[in-house]
Amino acid sequence: MPTTAKSSQLAVADALTALLRDTATEPRPDIQLEALALAVAADLPVLLWGEPGIGKTAALTQLAASLDLPLTTVIASVHEPSDFSGLPVVGDDPAEHGIPMAPPDWAVRLVRAGRGLLFLDELSTAPPAVQAALLRLVLERRIGSLRLPPGVRIVAAANPRSSAADGWELSPPLANRFVHLQWAHDHEVVVRGLGGIWPRTTLPRLDPDRLPEAVEFARRAVCGLLAARPTLVHRLPTTETRRGGAWPSPRSWDMTLNLVAFSVAAGSSRDVLSLLVRGTVGDGPGLELLASLDRMDLPDPEELLADPAGAVLPERGDLRQATLDGVVAAVRARPDQERWDAAWALLVRALETGAPDLVVVPATTLAALRREDWDVPAAVEHLAGVVSLSRRADRASERVVRAEAKAGR
Amino acid sequence: MTTTGAPTTGAPTTGAPTDTLDRDKLFAARLQAARARPYLATALFALHTVESRRVPTMGVDRYWRCYVSPAFVARTPVEELAGVWVHEVSHLLRDHHGRSDRVARQRGLTGPGDRLRMNIAADCEINDDVYGDGLVRPKGVVQPSTLGLQPGELMEDYLRRFGLGSITQYLAWLDCGSGADGLDRDWELGPEGAHGLSAREQDAVRFRVAQGINGRPGNVPKGWQRWAEEAFHPPQPWRELLGAAVRSAASGAGAGEDYTYGRPSRRSAGLPGVVLPSLRRTPPRVSVVIDTSGSVSDAELGSALLEVAAISRAVGGRRDLVTVLACDAATRVVHPLCSAEGIPLLGGGGTDLRTGFAKALRTRPRPDVVVVLTDGQTPWPKAQPACRTVVGLFTRERGRRTWREDNPEYTPSGPPAWARVVEIG
Repeated sequence: MPTTAKSSQLAVADALTALLRDTATEPRPDIQLEALALAVAADLPVLLWGEPGIGKTAALTQLAASLDLPLTTVIASVHEPSDFSGLPVVGDDPAEHGIPMAPPDWAVRLVRAGRGLLFLDELSTAPPAVQAALLRLVLERRIGSLRLPPGVRIVAAANPRSSAADGWELSPPLANRFVHLQWAHDHEVVVRGLGGIWPRTTLPRLDPDRLPEAVEFARRAVCGLLAARPTLVHRLPTTETRRGGAWPSPRSWDMTLNLVAFSVAAGSSRDVLSLLVRGTVGDGPGLELLASLDRMDLPDPEELLADPAGAVLPERGDLRQATLDGVVAAVRARPDQERWDAAWALLVRALETGAPDLVVVPATTLAALRREDWDVPAAVEHLAGVVSLSRRADRASERVVRAEAKAGR
Repeated sequence: MTTTGAPTTGAPTTGAPTDTLDRDKLFAARLQAARARPYLATALFALHTVESRRVPTMGVDRYWRCYVSPAFVARTPVEELAGVWVHEVSHLLRDHHGRSDRVARQRGLTGPGDRLRMNIAADCEINDDVYGDGLVRPKGVVQPSTLGLQPGELMEDYLRRFGLGSITQYLAWLDCGSGADGLDRDWELGPEGAHGLSAREQDAVRFRVAQGINGRPGNVPKGWQRWAEEAFHPPQPWRELLGAAVRSAASGAGAGEDYTYGRPSRRSAGLPGVVLPSLRRTPPRVSVVIDTSGSVSDAELGSALLEVAAISRAVGGRRDLVTVLACDAATRVVHPLCSAEGIPLLGGGGTDLRTGFAKALRTRPRPDVVVVLTDGQTPWPKAQPACRTVVGLFTRERGRRTWREDNPEYTPSGPPAWARVVEIG
């Protein structure tokens, strides 16, 4: 009798556990996970920086499921260096055959399967010799005498430098080989998840039709920026604050080029690309690349000039002004009456569809481009309001100057 | 947000006859603002304006939409509107909504008045340095002096200094929107509404503005220059940096926990004839050399010293493994850190840290790490010492020249490249 009571108690406990495990999922975009998926797809070494216990493993499980790869998690801090560099096995005649370095069982299984997702957790809490062995595994994909097949993807995770117990950090050459992704938890997601509903993310799928376009775009973007800004090609981190993080070098720019191409092929958002690019070449150069991508997105001035009536101008004020400035610059580069008229038509269109103050500077510059034999187009009359707007601002400025002078005296 | 007209005409909606928004006046003001502050033009033009009768004057949300009250535009002169434009865009550029959220989380500020206080503190941070030089200060804006505070501080600092009371009574309806204090308002369009900027787009605009300022810092006020320098590289607290540097130096090869061939591993039993390394712990020895010359204040020294002691204990250095040397022109005291709180620091003359280095390296057994706390006004050793070196450098205001009686031409060189340098303070 007592045994059945005990086992039934266990059965009740099991039922309670089952009930707790019974959670639902809801679709929710997650740019961190998307960025991770793209970097893994591009087969670049990824380093996740995040405090322990914020769901890195859960994220990796979801990623492995969606990529249809078996997940192998290795907690670095409980291993010895020989687990990664191989255990020496003494044969019959070491002098003749040498001593082979035997790999651990999980590595053998991984190689036999030919594919899988290897997650090296807690990289920063392992002793230095283990870290060295692990870094070799991540970067050279070798465990003892085994070489991991190309179907195996590797992701490593570490605690941020400020919270790692022993101040673990990467030397700049090592840091340069990784895509650094900051992993943070989303308060809302955690609360909802503990309430029983975890997020489900649809991960990016690469579109086979867009591959050539993606490569062309990525090359144009990266080469365009680096041609104009040669100092961005290589910049070693100098200050203590930036140690151990991403920095630009030809190697990391090559990784960035890959990531841009992958994000275009997957149709990912710029937010995802932003995480990846800043995690590869660092914040400053990454933001510059993103800014130049924004400029590549602006409508082509020649197309706008060819069809002013059907032109679609960007909605956002700063982008709209940059577009109009581009149009005026195009007219200046190759001036003739027809293009000049088309530019005026565009300015009128901009005035009709958006804020008037954006038109002031382009209109002033365009007016200055006039040649003596060009007739002033009728469209200019629509811009009379712009002139008065500009005057109004001027008068306000004068009042300020007078008031300041008075206060100064 | 200004409090123009409050409290006399005071109310958010005065029922004035001006029902339609005077767009020309509003945008003439933006144009004037962009002319007065060309480096802010990108940010000003990136704002999407929304006409709203619910906002008292002008306000912004965290998606860079700018809500404008038609009645407010009608009663405010163009030049004051220009100031308001710059004020509102400053909230967004300085990330007041994100900082408010962070400060609320850190300090547990959840009360009904706390977000209003954040809005007021954020206004103080902006209003003490954006006006003048072609831009008028709108009437009735909150200034630090309104609350009896000193100008030139950050929102987080102002927030500690005042509470809501009679002095802030007339500010109770002040409202710059969620862009200023992170609290969503029901009259805002929210994340789903049209024309919002995503976090990345906001970063891009901030970056453009910061680049513009860094490119031509000459004509830009100090406050904005500081913002531009720190916009994407916020200074890290020196405690964390110093801690990371000392920990990493103390746990490097030869010290701390690592594998060694000095003893065979227990696994060796299973592999006869093979030598495997085993895990051994060698606690790091840390020598702290302290510059006690007159130029470093006691308070600075005290806080930095306690920090180093705490860090070296945390990495496993026992107290007897941490030694402290006070050093000016000659190194005076070699003191084991047994009485941690009472280290006598003698000195006060000129500095020559080279003697301190020499003495630290002469101690036996040799230290694994030398930590130097100094203001840098000293000659440094020519050659790299045979152990890791971390320099905690007390920062001095730029432009303060050092002067020596016997050698007026003397300028100290910075710390050498082989040391890891953390700026303190």
